[in-house]
Formats: sequence, structure tokens, C-alpha cells
Amino acid sequence: MTTVSTDPTDRELDTGDAAAKPAAAGAEVVSAYDDGTADKALGFVADVLAQMGMDAHVDLLEPEEGDSPDEVRLEIEGEDSGRIIGKKGLVLGALQYLANRVVNRPGQARRRHVLVDAEGYQERRDETLAAMAHRLGQKAVDEGKIITFEPMNAKERRVVHMALAKFAGVVTKSDGEGEARRVQIIPVRR
Amino acid sequence: MALKELIETMAKALVDKPEAVEVTEIEGEHNLLLELRVAQEDIGKVIGREGRTAQSMRTLLTAAATKVGRRSHLDIVD
Repeated sequence: MTTVSTDPTDRELDTGDAAAKPAAAGAEVVSAYDDGTADKALGFVADVLAQMGMDAHVDLLEPEEGDSPDEVRLEIEGEDSGRIIGKKGLVLGALQYLANRVVNRPGQARRRHVLVDAEGYQERRDETLAAMAHRLGQKAVDEGKIITFEPMNAKERRVVHMALAKFAGVVTKSDGEGEARRVQIIPVRR
Repeated sequence: MALKELIETMAKALVDKPEAVEVTEIEGEHNLLLELRVAQEDIGKVIGREGRTAQSMRTLLTAAATKVGRRSHLDIVD
């Protein structure tokens, strides 16, 4: 919802904010690919895979149009990809978590986000999860009942929230703490 | 055995004082115990919020050990 203010003081504030934003979000932000973050993440993951004795190699993916400047994507390929993914993506998740800990140090200007995938696993998983969210969203509407997901990590919960953000007739929220946090799909009367 | 080096690599990348990172191997009958020591002020960095960093290192250690048909445990000594 947009509220148009007639108060001149508000307008001045708005203008100031709009003028400040491009500088903060655009030109002055150094991409994570240009400030060494990407190379640091790549080096860490490559070292760890080598020490794990895994037959695999890791590459930096080119940033795509619309990616956040804080995002770095790594893709692992090779014979041992299955082991590197692990059951339910657990090993891959651990690798990604550590890579993020390594590149994000206290006192840093911006928080960077490293995404580690192997043979497109994460991408497929996100698509499956989004499709499931749509199916369950429809079910929540049809049956008028709250549907609760299994506990998921923050990234997976985000996929579900995003998938249903514009889905008519439901809202989503997360409930519970830590490892037990789950997404709920709640039908709304319209 | 590269498992010791795996823990060293991860720990050194996480801490502020990599020179203080020390990993000791203790061979058991069916099990390799790795003891990780870091500078006092770096302990939080290898454990992490709710122990997630330590848990992630253990997940990778287990995956690497399994590949060579071994079991291995990581202890963080403070």
C-alpha cells in the first residue's frame, strides 16, 4: 500500500532518502566477486574438498543479472558429488555454512553470502520445495486448515515463504526455535 | 591420513590466530580421535552459535572418514 503524504516535511525526507539510496545500493557497493570474497570462498572449498580426499572440482559461477552484489556462487562437479551432497544435502549444507563463516568476519562492512551447490542439487531441491509449497498452499485454501511443514533450515524456509508470498488466500509464518523451526501455511478469509 | 589436515585447514580459515591451531591424533582401535586446540579467544569461532560451526566440521570429517572406511571424532579442547 502506498501512502501519499501532503505534509511538506515528509516530502523533503522522502526526497533525501531517494537521493541517498542509489549511492548506498548501487555504484559504491563492491561486488563480492571483486573484493576477494569469491576467491577466498573458492580457495577454502577447494582446499577442504582436497583434504577430504574427494574426487571433485569446484568452480566459481559467473554472477547473473539480478544477483545481489553480496552473493557468490560455487558449483562442485565430479565423481564424489554424491558424498559431497550427503543425505538430504547435509554435507553440502555444512560446507556452505563453513564457507560463509570464513568469508564473514566481525567488523566487515558488508555481509557476504556464499552459495555452494553440487551438480545442481540445491537448485533442484529449491524447485521441488517451491512446487510442494504451491501444492500445500492450495490444500490449505481448499480445506481451510493450517498446514505445517517439517522443520527446515533458514534457507529452505525462505524458499517456501517466497513461493507463497503472492499466493492468494494464504499467509506463511515460521514457528518454533532453532532446529525445530517450521513453516506454517495459514489460510486467510478474504 | 588427511583427516588431521582437514581439521587444521578448516580451523585455520575460521580463527584469527591460525598459528595457534593445533590438532592431535589419537588412534583408537576402530576410531581416530582428533583433538583441536586453538587460541583461547578463538574458541567461540570454532564452536559457533549453538555449536553449528563445530557440528559442520564434524559433518565434513565424518563424510571424509567414511570415504576411506574409517570413523573419526573431533574434540575441541579448551
